[in-house]
Amino acid sequence: MTKTKQLALCALMTALALALSYAERFLPLQLLIPLPGVKLGLANVVTLVALYLLKKRHALVILLLRCFLGAVFGGGISGLAMSLTGGLLALGVMVLSRKSKLFSIYGVSILGAACHNTGQILAAMVLMNSVYVAAYLPYLLLVALVTGSLTACACAGVLKILKNASISPS
Amino acid sequence: MEKQLRFRKGDLLAAALVLLAAILLFLCFLPRGEAAYAEVYLHGELIQRLPLDRDSEITVCDGYTNTVTVSGGKIAVTASDCPGADCVGCGWSSTPGRSIVCLPNGLEIRIVSGQSDVDFVVG
Repeated sequence: MTKTKQLALCALMTALALALSYAERFLPLQLLIPLPGVKLGLANVVTLVALYLLKKRHALVILLLRCFLGAVFGGGISGLAMSLTGGLLALGVMVLSRKSKLFSIYGVSILGAACHNTGQILAAMVLMNSVYVAAYLPYLLLVALVTGSLTACACAGVLKILKNASISPS
Repeated sequence: MEKQLRFRKGDLLAAALVLLAAILLFLCFLPRGEAAYAEVYLHGELIQRLPLDRDSEITVCDGYTNTVTVSGGKIAVTASDCPGADCVGCGWSSTPGRSIVCLPNGLEIRIVSGQSDVDFVVG
């Protein structure tokens, strides 16, 4: 893959991640599962695709840009702290678990989703100065099992389609 | 690459790990005793204790405004102008050990059972 192509893909994926995380706010998933912070994690599809299609550093840059731009577009400072800790922890674990060669994209995605929630709760614990917030984590982890699998499905589909369009890992 | 996109046995291990963590954490935070009070914290500081057996409503204002309502032994944030309003989305709760949080406003409502080491709160 040429550098120009990489740059264009990074920019495209940042925009896509931002749009997805914004659009997600309008999905009333909380009516179904009344827990704070329950999300499908659609933006995670982009991180995952970036991880498999581009290099680790590209995935990191896309993640950081998405978090900061997301804060500018209405997430606020507390939202930034939560999405940054969650996102970075998730990316770190996804990189390691992919390297371990134990899991396919499904396992990597499930672990990533679980770590995203764990990171968010850790940030909330620090922000709120309270351990009790962690009482939510078990429920969020169960949700992460489902959303992580769905994200992996979406991601596997996207990667296959991109491959047919002759966009494949460098 | 192809191989990485197909489900394999190792993935069950990942799912089992997450499930195990969820169960362990759930057991750690298992509710104990009857719910008696709700402690309202703002930025980690206790500002009010609400007995759950008496209906009441308070407003907490710090940047954003949360309306906290106690009704029928349960407590909820019934209105909030914070972005997302996750705190309202939490709904009603009366489980000891559970807490309702409004992160943008720095509000935490902790449901506690029976006696607490705080005698009373002034202010």
